[in-house]
Amino acid sequence: MKQSLGDRILNIEWLPLLVLAFVGILVLSMISSNFLSSYNLFVILRILSVTSLVALSQMVVIAIGQMNLAVGAIGGLVAILFGALLELYHVSIPLAFLAGLAVGIACGALSGWLIAWTKISGFIITLAMLSVFTGLNYGITKSIPFYNMPQALKAWYDSYVGPVPLILFIPLIAMVAVAVILHHTRAGRQMLAMGGNPAAAELAGISLMRTTIMAHTLSGALAAIAGMVAVARLGTAEPTIGSDWLLASFAAPVIGGAILTGGHVSVIGTMIAVLIVVLLENGLILAGTNPFYIPFFLGALILLTVLFNHWRNSARSSPLLRRGGH
Amino acid sequence: MTPLLEVRGATKAFPGVKALDGVNLTLRAGEIHALVGENGAGKSSLIKLLTGVLRQDEGEIRLNGEPVKFNSPHESLAAGIAVVHQERNLIPRYSIAENMFLDRLPVRNGLVQHAQMRREAQPWLDLLDLHINPGTPVRYLSVAQMQLVEIGRALSLDSKILLLDEPTASISEHEVERLLTILRRLRDQGKAILFVSHKLEELTQLCDRITVLRDGKNACDDRPLKGMTKADIVTLMVGRESAVTDLGERTAKLGEIRLALRDLATGAGHKGINLDVRAGEVVGLYGLVGAGRSELAKSIIGAYPVLSGRIEMEGRPARIRAPLDALRDWHIGYVSEDRKGEGLILTQSVARNTAITVWHRIAKRLGFLWGGIEKAAILPFVERLNVKTPSLDQAVGNLSGGNQQKVSVAKWLAADARILIIDEPTVGVDVRTKGYLHRLIWKLAEDGAAILLISSELSEMVQLADRIYVMNDYRIITEMPNSRQYDEMSDRLMTAIHRDNDARTQSAAAE
Repeated sequence: MKQSLGDRILNIEWLPLLVLAFVGILVLSMISSNFLSSYNLFVILRILSVTSLVALSQMVVIAIGQMNLAVGAIGGLVAILFGALLELYHVSIPLAFLAGLAVGIACGALSGWLIAWTKISGFIITLAMLSVFTGLNYGITKSIPFYNMPQALKAWYDSYVGPVPLILFIPLIAMVAVAVILHHTRAGRQMLAMGGNPAAAELAGISLMRTTIMAHTLSGALAAIAGMVAVARLGTAEPTIGSDWLLASFAAPVIGGAILTGGHVSVIGTMIAVLIVVLLENGLILAGTNPFYIPFFLGALILLTVLFNHWRNSARSSPLLRRGGH
Repeated sequence: MTPLLEVRGATKAFPGVKALDGVNLTLRAGEIHALVGENGAGKSSLIKLLTGVLRQDEGEIRLNGEPVKFNSPHESLAAGIAVVHQERNLIPRYSIAENMFLDRLPVRNGLVQHAQMRREAQPWLDLLDLHINPGTPVRYLSVAQMQLVEIGRALSLDSKILLLDEPTASISEHEVERLLTILRRLRDQGKAILFVSHKLEELTQLCDRITVLRDGKNACDDRPLKGMTKADIVTLMVGRESAVTDLGERTAKLGEIRLALRDLATGAGHKGINLDVRAGEVVGLYGLVGAGRSELAKSIIGAYPVLSGRIEMEGRPARIRAPLDALRDWHIGYVSEDRKGEGLILTQSVARNTAITVWHRIAKRLGFLWGGIEKAAILPFVERLNVKTPSLDQAVGNLSGGNQQKVSVAKWLAADARILIIDEPTVGVDVRTKGYLHRLIWKLAEDGAAILLISSELSEMVQLADRIYVMNDYRIITEMPNSRQYDEMSDRLMTAIHRDNDARTQSAAAE
């Protein structure tokens, strides 16, 4: 079972994605001189910062073999609460952030607890929670954004560490944290074990209830951070934040190599997938495509990469899977 | 010396059937104990009691002489009873080491210590002669290796008692040898091992004592295996008194050859299969569990591909690429052995379950189906089979096993099946309904259907079939007319299978 270094590199799941991302960058920098402009890179990185958190939030639930349709709704609810605390109650930014995080955690834990306790499918529970959280959001705001965010928030968002925008550190830290949790903590190992084979996990003494709650809680926390970063990016706390996250939240983890039935997700793959999605959108705009066509190309990209992953997996593992008819 | 584990008078009833009826079992340290019985004899129920999945209604389990109660699989595991199930219970993408320590991952400062885990797994792998890096994900292992990982996990938990449920069902001969060697070594180290298998050859080689179950009761309780022949075990398994209930005489009125298999090789692994079934004939396909009988049935209806040879229907070559072709073009019906998994849609009504095969015929223009049409179409068949249900709208899951089986047959009658493949018609069915189903099979043949009957129950086979094909290892090894004399037929069938097994063992040894 020893592998040579070359084999190991070829077996890295996200390698083709990385190549695709590089090709994308190369093509874009050739067709548009604006692509590598510092302003455009700045735009790309900013979009990346929200979308990658959204993708991670969905990914941790996919890990246990469920889905969280309420990722955007939690993000939106936390975003407006964050905005309200800052504008109406003049709470300091760190305190408002912690409060928003707590709300996200509570929302996720509630979904998880409902799923674990009722044993009803996560799809339907989070679909209901999506509506519950969105309704709260619109009820509180009457659909009117909080416009007056403190200057400090904008300034913080615009600051740099050397050449790197400060805001980029939030998804980077989240990414490392999620990777460490999934691969190096007991809770994370139990989550992936549950996704990989729930029966075996339960027989090994893992509580599926607790694991479900844990995954949804983590998802809620990440969605909350995404919502608050979106507020910083837009400069206003819009009630519509999160309403368009659903597609990307599933697309990135799946393009990144996650198995929807659970048990396998790739943090790095998901991050590269987010980059590819953002590059595609950016490239289409730079190329002067009618922006209303963007969903079409995004859908095509999802189909193609997923087909490629499927083909690659079945080609690689066939001798192991097709072992005899009996 | 007190036995390590004792089961005394265990009784477990399910609605309509007594799965266990006063069963005893005794396991001692340093012994390998065989547990055998036909399908439905109660082996898996007994294992479920020992592993805390089920609780007995009466009787007790004693561990080192002390009565114990297991409320969950975890409690039984904690008490030192580990089980290696027939199907694998591992997380495919996790490493060998992590699968072994999944319930007690070593953690320092909140971080799982992967390296430490691999180090701790190593000695157990060495003990099992499994020379694979403990960091390897288990999905890259063979089934036999995965099994050893599960045994390793049991050992690392310091389990004194090891239950192995058909561990040799899905591994190769060579791997079986290795497993048996390892089990002997574990026995010599003082473990108590329960070995469940249908393969009598292995049992007689490996085990010290034997318990046989039949119809939920002990056919023998803790007997030394020494001096017992395979024939003795089979006699205990099958029983004599249950041999033949009187069905009366039957003179088959045979018609033309309706189904013929010619040199058939299938994607399931069959080779060189030749078989005929005539109109009005009940042809038996006998073999032990795992011989490939249900797989042949599924190949005939197009669920497994035909690799070479041909299937002929009424003398014409038939191309059957999917069950849809079998049903619509050739009127072949298959009553699955797995009623709940493959035969019926338990949450839906009797009417729907029966009409499912004729929807395409009874649907009105644009595919509209009204409940009334459905009921009118299937009522004659439900009545003919005497299905006992409060109404046609009753969910099939609420019926008894016997009535569920009648519904599975009714849907093929409704479909006007000219060939009916019936796989284990009476598993989980009470004795009275069993007699009814037996008469029904004959009646269907008399009405002109060609019937291919698959059954592991020897008495059923001897009673019903006109002619019997014997299958072993995905080949037809012989064909014989049925004399309907139980003793004579059981002897001839078993001899044929044992002779074939011996021949295979020899040719494997010669290689």
